[in-house]
Amino acid sequence: MLTQKNRRLLGVLAALALGTAITTLSGAASAQDVQITGPLAGQPAVRHMRQYRVNRFFITPSVGYTLQDEFSRALFFGGSLGFHFTDWLGIGAWGGGAPIDIDTDLTSQIASNGQVSPQNRLSLPSADGFPDQVGRIRWGASLHVLFIPLRGKLSLFQAGFVDTDLYILAGVGLFGVDERSDVSREQYRAACVDQPQPPGSSAPDCLATQSRTSRILPAPMLGVGLSMYFNEFIGLQIEWRAFPFSWRASGFDESGEDANGAPGSGFPDEQIDGADARTTFNQMLNVGIVIYLPTEVQITD
Amino acid sequence: MFAARHNASGRDDVASREAASNQGVAMRKASVALLARALAGAVPLPRSAVLLAGAALVSGSVLLAGPAHAQDMEFSLDEAEQQPQQEGSAEGADMSFEEGETQPTQESGSGDVIGDLATTETAAEQTETREAPTEQQEAREEIFAVQQVYALRINRVEITPTASFSLNDPFVQHTGVGVGLNYWWTNVLALGVNFIWYEGLENESDIGYFVRRATRLAVPVNSYQFGAHLAFTYVPIYGKFAMFNEFIFQYDIYVLGGVGLMNTRPIPVIDPEVRSFNFDIRVAFNVGIGLRVFVTRWLAIVAELRDYMYLEQLENLEVALGAERTNPDTWTQNSPAFINNVTAHLGLTIFLPFDFEYRLPR
Repeated sequence: MLTQKNRRLLGVLAALALGTAITTLSGAASAQDVQITGPLAGQPAVRHMRQYRVNRFFITPSVGYTLQDEFSRALFFGGSLGFHFTDWLGIGAWGGGAPIDIDTDLTSQIASNGQVSPQNRLSLPSADGFPDQVGRIRWGASLHVLFIPLRGKLSLFQAGFVDTDLYILAGVGLFGVDERSDVSREQYRAACVDQPQPPGSSAPDCLATQSRTSRILPAPMLGVGLSMYFNEFIGLQIEWRAFPFSWRASGFDESGEDANGAPGSGFPDEQIDGADARTTFNQMLNVGIVIYLPTEVQITD
Repeated sequence: MFAARHNASGRDDVASREAASNQGVAMRKASVALLARALAGAVPLPRSAVLLAGAALVSGSVLLAGPAHAQDMEFSLDEAEQQPQQEGSAEGADMSFEEGETQPTQESGSGDVIGDLATTETAAEQTETREAPTEQQEAREEIFAVQQVYALRINRVEITPTASFSLNDPFVQHTGVGVGLNYWWTNVLALGVNFIWYEGLENESDIGYFVRRATRLAVPVNSYQFGAHLAFTYVPIYGKFAMFNEFIFQYDIYVLGGVGLMNTRPIPVIDPEVRSFNFDIRVAFNVGIGLRVFVTRWLAIVAELRDYMYLEQLENLEVALGAERTNPDTWTQNSPAFINNVTAHLGLTIFLPFDFEYRLPR
């Protein structure tokens, strides 16, 4: 097995090799670059193109679903709205609530098979109650810039043709999360250590350390999406978003502080606090119906 | 004076109908003017060009009677009427055909209108060194309603080096490098193999360790050494898109499915002091979908999502007591688990041979 350092080195080398291959193999000129003389010289690459976005507002009701979650998935209901200054640039806002969340198989396994002992009683006061300490996303919102570099058509089995575009969004977001409350060392000792504990379980006072609190977390927001237009003002959007932030997804006592107060060592520090938060690369998939206003589309020469 | 029709979307509106109607009138007038000049000998066109102009006249008349569709390209009557004056200048015409001159043949390796026009640049530059023609010349250019497929796949071999990443395993990141080989026996159907090497590139995440430490619950995880898979590929979708309304790229979307082998083993996490596992072969089925964006006629960027499905032998969560603890038969679970290893591939694809010939000239 390679060490972590060697793995990183291998990754960097692979990326360099791929980049070199792309730049050297592709050659200087793309065959698709319009380099012509004659009557077609200087003519636009596309004529009579429908500009679905320029000078139009949009509203997009959508549903979303988080991906790659360790303990709990969130089902979002919401939407986005915005305005496009040009056909390739716009601004937008997105918001949604997540009233429904679904535990992953790992959470179910811990709830049914997790073992409580004096050594892990802070991390897992109760196996049955583990879903109560798992971090959950409750809502999200973002302000972002939309960039639409690609326009084209999509043909399905040469029977159906739809105008499509691919867009990229970048901005900032805020997310409301529910997660396990802080537990100080004193609280932990009073509730879980000094109290008589039945074997394999926790006393009611210790269970109380699984209480929850809400926080609002800022996060960068990145995404990419595909729009497929049914007509001049209605289309289907499929969108992937990523919003990494640091939170207590598990509610475990995962990390401590060293003698200088720096996080990342000193486990177990016998307290639940900010040092136990881990950065996760949160992702979601959104599917929505985009409606453009006004309904008339601009068509190029 | 030219016109090209390209029924791109099958949808039209009043504006495009009017534009098409105007275009049809322009096309007909242009064809009549060009044909008349050719017949009068004013324009030195080859015979085939005269025939084509006549055909364009007939086509323009026929199309005028039918419903109009959206166009991708058109040239106005004004542009065309100004053209002879420009061509009569000392700069000369960008494109001209004299007696006996022929267009580049398809065997030259071009394949579309844009490519052909680009190849005429050299000829146009050569004509600039000549004296300005005394006779007024008109350019003639053929634009076909349906262009040829940008890159033919039939009878070509495709080599695809890729990097791959697992998407649905939070405990082990199954990173791999691989290469695929496809033979296309039609333009849309291929049979191929791919090989992925994982050992040494995988990375076990921290979450497994945290869960074990916090809950005393071990999650069985596995590592891969390599995978080798046979798959049929079918291309149901292809098209083109414009980047910044300037650069045109061709793409296709393909689906694939097949069967292969995975060489995997459990990572001992329940009783690592005693247990160790060797790699073993599993039969794996795979289905996937991919996107191929052509950079040239022989090079493309490929992104693919593939699900490798197989029955995995997981480590036994229970440790046998006594001498049975060291019995390898007690180290794995009695029944295998069904695994979906959803993997993203990203890489290049190279078509060989680099050149190809179209079966028909147009």
